[in-house]
Amino acid sequence: MIVADAKPFNEIEQMLSGCKKVYVVGCGSCVTICHTGGEKQVTELAAKIRLASKLKGKPVEVVEGSVLRQCEWEFIEETKNVVEDCDAVLSIACGIGVQYMAERFPNAKVFPGLNTTFMGAPTEQGVFWERCAGCGNCIISTTGGLCPVSRCAKSLLNGPCGGSQNGNCEVSEETPCVWNQIYDRLDAQQLLSTMENIVPPKDWRTGAENHPRKMVLEHLVMK
Amino acid sequence: MFAMTMNNIQTKQNTCTGEEAPCVMACPIRQDARDYVQLIARGLFKEAYRLVRERNTLPASCGRICTHPCETKCRRNSTDKPIAIAWLKRFLSDNYSENIYARPEQTYPERIAIIGAGPAGLAAANDLALMGYSCTIFESNPHPGGMLRMGVPKYRLPRNAIDKDVEFIRQLGVEIKYNTTLGKDVTFDSLKKEGYAAIFIGVGLLDSRNLPIEGAEYDGVLKGISFLREVNATGTAKIGKNVLVIGGGAVAMDCARTALRLKTEKVSVACLESRKEMPTTDFEIEEAVHEGVILYNSVGPKRILGEHGRATGLETLRVKYVFDEQKRFHPAFYEGSESVIEADTIILAIGQTSNLSFLKNQEEIEVSRGATIVVDPNTFETSMPGIYAGGDIVLGRGTLTEGLAQGKKAAISIHNALRNEKRSDEKWADKPEVPKLADARVPLVKKEQKQDMPMLSLSKRLHSFDEVELGFSPEVAVREAQRCMNCGAGAYVDEHLCVGCITCVRVCPFDVPEFRNGEITAYIGGDCQSCGLCIVECPAKAIRFKTPLEDSGRERLKALFQDAPVQKTRPLIVNFYCQYGSPVVGSVEGKSNAVIEKHVKRIGVLGLGKVEPSLYLNALEWGADGVLITACKEDECHFCAEYEWIKKRSAYVSGFLSEIGMDARIFQTHFVSSQTDNAFVDIAVQMVKDIEQINLVKSA
Repeated sequence: MIVADAKPFNEIEQMLSGCKKVYVVGCGSCVTICHTGGEKQVTELAAKIRLASKLKGKPVEVVEGSVLRQCEWEFIEETKNVVEDCDAVLSIACGIGVQYMAERFPNAKVFPGLNTTFMGAPTEQGVFWERCAGCGNCIISTTGGLCPVSRCAKSLLNGPCGGSQNGNCEVSEETPCVWNQIYDRLDAQQLLSTMENIVPPKDWRTGAENHPRKMVLEHLVMK
Repeated sequence: MFAMTMNNIQTKQNTCTGEEAPCVMACPIRQDARDYVQLIARGLFKEAYRLVRERNTLPASCGRICTHPCETKCRRNSTDKPIAIAWLKRFLSDNYSENIYARPEQTYPERIAIIGAGPAGLAAANDLALMGYSCTIFESNPHPGGMLRMGVPKYRLPRNAIDKDVEFIRQLGVEIKYNTTLGKDVTFDSLKKEGYAAIFIGVGLLDSRNLPIEGAEYDGVLKGISFLREVNATGTAKIGKNVLVIGGGAVAMDCARTALRLKTEKVSVACLESRKEMPTTDFEIEEAVHEGVILYNSVGPKRILGEHGRATGLETLRVKYVFDEQKRFHPAFYEGSESVIEADTIILAIGQTSNLSFLKNQEEIEVSRGATIVVDPNTFETSMPGIYAGGDIVLGRGTLTEGLAQGKKAAISIHNALRNEKRSDEKWADKPEVPKLADARVPLVKKEQKQDMPMLSLSKRLHSFDEVELGFSPEVAVREAQRCMNCGAGAYVDEHLCVGCITCVRVCPFDVPEFRNGEITAYIGGDCQSCGLCIVECPAKAIRFKTPLEDSGRERLKALFQDAPVQKTRPLIVNFYCQYGSPVVGSVEGKSNAVIEKHVKRIGVLGLGKVEPSLYLNALEWGADGVLITACKEDECHFCAEYEWIKKRSAYVSGFLSEIGMDARIFQTHFVSSQTDNAFVDIAVQMVKDIEQINLVKSA
């Protein structure tokens, strides 16, 4: 899923300064599952905005809402009347949802309530870790199913580096060294010899170096 | 305060609750046991009484002498002991009974005659009167209650308990003609001539069953019902000093305990059954023994011995078995096992039988071989059109609630016949029951001590017919009610909203939510304990309680700020407290303390885990100067797991408040052992002072 984190509240306050009526809209997919952009968080953020603005003597009216996925034109269409009725839209979807709202409603001020951070998964309730960098050329068949691009601080393809300390990364003690994990897995699977193959420099043009990327499924495109 | 009407509760339950609580299903009248217990758990006693009375014509009597099959089926049996559902009903009827009904606006011209002011007759009259019919009850005795009054001793059922409930029925317009016997003072023909459109017979079983053994004709041999009737009417009876009751059921226990109160020297009970087989509640047997009754189990009467025409004892045989292999009553005895129990009075309490003399010359009414009236099981109509019957005269041997149920069902049937309608009461519909608590879950549910009934001391009991069970205090009632697991009314997942995030599965302390058979939405089964943690944590707001009784404080918080004097109170603190923490009841919330009474508005919730953090922000937004959370200590949590969650949520709210520059003292969370003791008072008073100081600085 796409993981996103709540923006600091003072940043949100600055974005909304001057607004009298704000539409706080959540998204029912990834950011609901990562507990930052669901209906519950809409209710909480709305209460925060009302309380903080009341304290400053400039009360803001908040309309609360959520759609199934903000990254679909069809689903965001239902918000049209509310969007037009408000001074600003504060979307707590990922960056995709925020932009879709902005693209669909060209006259609306659309602000992001979250910082979209990574593609990852919950390892336990309330804890999310990055798992994929979207490099466009997956190599984990050779690394025991674990991705060094997203999980190694240096995105090393021939690891580990000298900073691997007792199974953890030198960058942060709570970050496991993925190359240590790769070694253990390959060892357990008796595939350690794979590590002797030197991986040549990766062609990064399939990934984040080549914005914006596009995918077309010709067999589905309706002319 | 609780704003929903009871009808709302029922409507919502019908749509949301797939499985019904076993306590409700076990009750012949389908009393809303779970919900009135849950209302008591919240201190909402008036509302609880009203809910009871909507379904139950005689709550005061049921609260005392009902055989409470609800408790037998209570799912708390799996963890410790059942909820004292009947005693809680008694608590309500003792302290909160009121006439909840106005006379119906729509009335019908037909008049209904009801024979007998016992449970069945009173229930039929009550329900028919509420439907708009004019009812007259013809009762052969000078007082109402039927067998409740004639048969049940006063120490178990004080007469004012009967009279109070009957008065409410009378206030619906029901007329009771006392000292009027069917077959003597009125007949079916005379009633029809008087214009009664339907007749309901609920005369009960008036006679004791005979024991056809040698010596039954001796002086000093009494019939149980006659004996009880005499004592109940006159306060005494002619008996000797050494009394033996034959029989092992409730009436036998009543006879024995009544005899004990009549200056006897020895009272014994002899019955065919072993102690475990006796057809009455353990509680009754224990109380009888406690009061001094001697039990002779597994003995059968061979003959009554006597001298000069007077009984002197009972010759008995030892019982081999009472029931044969087909579980039919078919006692067998050991030959040559004769022994004698001496007694100068022998009371036969081996069952009751009908007195059908009123049916003389009424051959159209079919009677069974057991001398009961035969009715259509769906309509309660006898073989004579327009004449209905219910209660013991149909059942042969029934309980108080079975009698009430038959009266209620017959009332609907009479209405349908008169109006050509097909009205039905969906409460009696077949529904699946919440299954037994899963074995794996039993250790996760906290054991809660069952509350004892305060009893009259033994020394006081034997010299009077004063009520033995003294009733629950409000505190005890709330504690007992808070043991209820709210079966079938817990959380459910709206599958249209669930995003399958698995949060509920992860946070539930009882491991109840699950993803069944590849389904992509969560399912919460009947073992839900209503802690509400999953409801608050669900990011999609896809989980709700099935019952509106669980308001989580939001409605009351809204209502609080609609109150003008509250809005003007400065400083104003809203206190969210855990009602499990102490039985804070009714309007007596908190110790008397002027500061708290003025400045602290209290919202009790059964478990603070069901309060959303946004509600604390709402309280501040709507005008509170401070929010005080008083939760239970970690090892005292009813749900065992809320402490950590309350700490985390409090930290989350505090973090935000400091982010927007609010003083940390306006939002406080404390873990306390009592919601009313000095420690709580100190916390609350200090917080009022803190906020006064903050406001002073602000205004300066």
